[in-house]
Amino acid sequence: MKPNLRYWLGAPAFLILLLIPWFFQSTFVLHMHTLIFFYIALTAVWNIPAFGGKLSLGHAAFFGIGAYTATILYVKYGITPWLGLLAALVVSMLGGLVMTLPLIRLRGPFFTLASIAFAEVLRMIAIDWRSLTNGSVGINIPFKPAWINMTFQGGKPFYYMSLILAVGIVWLTYRLKNSALGFHLRAAASDEEAAQALGINTSRAHFIALMWSSGLTGAIGVFYVFYIYVLEPHTIFSLDLFSLQPALNGIIGGMGTISGPVIGAILMTPLGEFLRFYLGTIQQGLNYVVYGLVLIATVKFIPGGIVSLLTPIIKRTPGRKKIPLSGQVEAR
Amino acid sequence: MALLQVKNLTKKFGGLTAVKDVSFDVAPGEIVGLIGPNGAGKTTVFNWMTGIIPKDDGHIILDGREITGLPAYRRSLVGIGRTFQVVRPFEMTVLENVMAPALARTKNTTHARQKASAVLAMMGLDDLAHAAPGSLTLAQRKRIEVARALATNPKLLLLDEVLAGLNPTEVAQNLPLIRQVRDRGVTIIFIEHLMDAMMSVSERVLVMDQGALIATGTPAEVTNDECVIKAYLGEEAPQC
Amino acid sequence: MDLYIQVLVSGLLLGGVYALISVGLNLIFGVVRIINFAHGEMVMIAMYLTFWLHHFSKLDPYVSAIVIMPVMFIFGIVFQRIVVQPILATSATMKIFATVGVSLLLQNLALIAWKGDFRTVQTSYSMSSLEVFDIIVSIPRLVAFSAALLSIIVLYYFLKYTYVGKALRAIVEDHAVARLMGVNVEKHYILAFGMGTMFTALGGVLLMPFSSVYPTVGVTFTLLAFVVVVLGGLGSMSGTFFAGLFIGVVESIGGTFVSPALKEAIYFAIFVLVLLVRPQGLFGKGKGSEEVGLK
Repeated sequence: MKPNLRYWLGAPAFLILLLIPWFFQSTFVLHMHTLIFFYIALTAVWNIPAFGGKLSLGHAAFFGIGAYTATILYVKYGITPWLGLLAALVVSMLGGLVMTLPLIRLRGPFFTLASIAFAEVLRMIAIDWRSLTNGSVGINIPFKPAWINMTFQGGKPFYYMSLILAVGIVWLTYRLKNSALGFHLRAAASDEEAAQALGINTSRAHFIALMWSSGLTGAIGVFYVFYIYVLEPHTIFSLDLFSLQPALNGIIGGMGTISGPVIGAILMTPLGEFLRFYLGTIQQGLNYVVYGLVLIATVKFIPGGIVSLLTPIIKRTPGRKKIPLSGQVEAR
Repeated sequence: MALLQVKNLTKKFGGLTAVKDVSFDVAPGEIVGLIGPNGAGKTTVFNWMTGIIPKDDGHIILDGREITGLPAYRRSLVGIGRTFQVVRPFEMTVLENVMAPALARTKNTTHARQKASAVLAMMGLDDLAHAAPGSLTLAQRKRIEVARALATNPKLLLLDEVLAGLNPTEVAQNLPLIRQVRDRGVTIIFIEHLMDAMMSVSERVLVMDQGALIATGTPAEVTNDECVIKAYLGEEAPQC
Repeated sequence: MDLYIQVLVSGLLLGGVYALISVGLNLIFGVVRIINFAHGEMVMIAMYLTFWLHHFSKLDPYVSAIVIMPVMFIFGIVFQRIVVQPILATSATMKIFATVGVSLLLQNLALIAWKGDFRTVQTSYSMSSLEVFDIIVSIPRLVAFSAALLSIIVLYYFLKYTYVGKALRAIVEDHAVARLMGVNVEKHYILAFGMGTMFTALGGVLLMPFSSVYPTVGVTFTLLAFVVVVLGGLGSMSGTFFAGLFIGVVESIGGTFVSPALKEAIYFAIFVLVLLVRPQGLFGKGKGSEEVGLK
């Protein structure tokens, strides 16, 4: 997409989104939008290591670390969540460090597997360390509306906060992808060995990507937990909600692209909520059966995600010549 | 002084000795051919020099600096560029493929793009800058491979069979590039099976057989060397 | 002192079953080279089958193995044909997502069909045990261990001496060479999947008399099996066996002296440690390490 086109499409969309809370008073509309923005942000940061081919199914770990850090600081020590946000960023980066250092060299599936285990370990720790986390009961955030408490009457403030968060993070991933780091990651994803032979420190690139990703995921966790007031280990470290869901959005939208996470989150969040509240109440688990089928179908029919269906239309820019294939037989 | 010194390289895979006690020097600005029958250990030498496989024994000195223990990416940064025998373009446009290594040297994408465009122009690939490498011919992809290696600003360039699999016209087109690259100050070692091409370009030839270096010399000297003839044709030559 | 021996014995007995589940995975992973994120769900299905056969027809869990093993053999083949075969040529990422999708699907189909309750099989011998030198040995665990050991020995000799077994081992060693030697690699993929699933399922059956089943029980087994395989070494059946025993003992010690909740933490720590210190595994032939990404 040309920058111009992006601007002409993006600016009015952003304006409309700014005005929505003033025209639709229903909490449902606001809530759904807020959730979508959260998931856009969450999927976009999940996608950063995916530029380099590192697929995490353990991001709930960072989400949880961030949420717990800010909540404990606020509820136990009375520290404002805005400072807690910074602390959460740092602590979840540390969590990312603990996971990344030993796992950075693991290839594809092994990294993914270890990331699942890592999130499970953290969930167990959160349940087991009762003196700090209040165990499986979790922690309630007292409802004291004030800016300083990141607690508000009505849904508008969180609507705008999550909107800014989503736009900011998508912009950030766009910058990241087109920076030197983005090139290093994409090269590493294609061919790790060739990338190294060309002078690219691929381990460093993966490492930085995972640091960005884990820190920002933690920060999003803070916003989320102050939005719902309740911190409960089984929800916050949930494999389904915060590890699988962003990954699912990413693959369905288009992994390793900028617009993929946005498209994925916009489509999947309402679908997920609908399935959870309608199918889920009819029959528990039915929503995830649909998810499983969607996932298998995506892999089978559109492995590049929805973006790959749109690309042929968008990418028809001048200067992009189609070069005919020669009948050459490849040596080896 | 020699640009590159390789001393006593030995590499074993399990019980098999792929390379045994190979030593050689390369002077700045030389074009050196590395030949030998299949399985002689030529690519292994390249892989070891670029740090892709660990050493068993041996030293590598570039420009007077010992680089033996460095990881692969650091060796590229100190000046060893290479191409792979099986072309391995990244899944990005041709221009971006060449920008990637440039961006390992500068963080500035504009500079990297200029650098990449210049290299593409030199390689005659500027028309294809925005094409996907997957859609190109093998000859074109081999050029991308060389362009990518050149974007690393190498002092020494290791070319692994950049002519293999090309038809005679394409060989004729790609061959002059090797001299052209050297004339820009890059020292070259290249592995090639096409003997005519090899002999016409290289100034000195190293011959390997069964992991050992069996002869060095000018193309003319090497082609008349008894040991070399034996290695290639299996004829009797008592002094070998 | 007795407590230590007691913990060691229960760990070893449990480890035998872990070894069996992992042997199934090792066969599949070694031959087909796919990380099946739905491996634990095979255990889950086998456990449910055991439960329902017992519930409806009062079939003894050990007897039900005679029915369940062939059923799961076929299940493995169907799984290979429908899910795995079509994605073999795709990227690692796609393989992860496809098998994660299957795992999600199976877990939640189980939830729909059989609800989220923990279900156990009550047999006359569930609680029985014998006492040897003050050490209490649970009978179902002892049976499980013995049956697991026997199955692994059978598989070991099958792989070592039959033509099919040799072909499978050849594929584990080197796909391309096996193909050149005239081995029909695709056919053996199917066989490996069927056999691997069958042995894994037997592990599930053997677990049933002394543990419970619920829809997400498989997640832990997937992790566990991969830890055991990586620890024991790709392609090494005996390695997998000893690694299984080791993990059983470690889990037993950790569960008794630290906290039973930290099971996954122990798996994770061992997994990472092995990959860092000895990526080819304790008994590995060095073939797996490049698949893992370490050399």
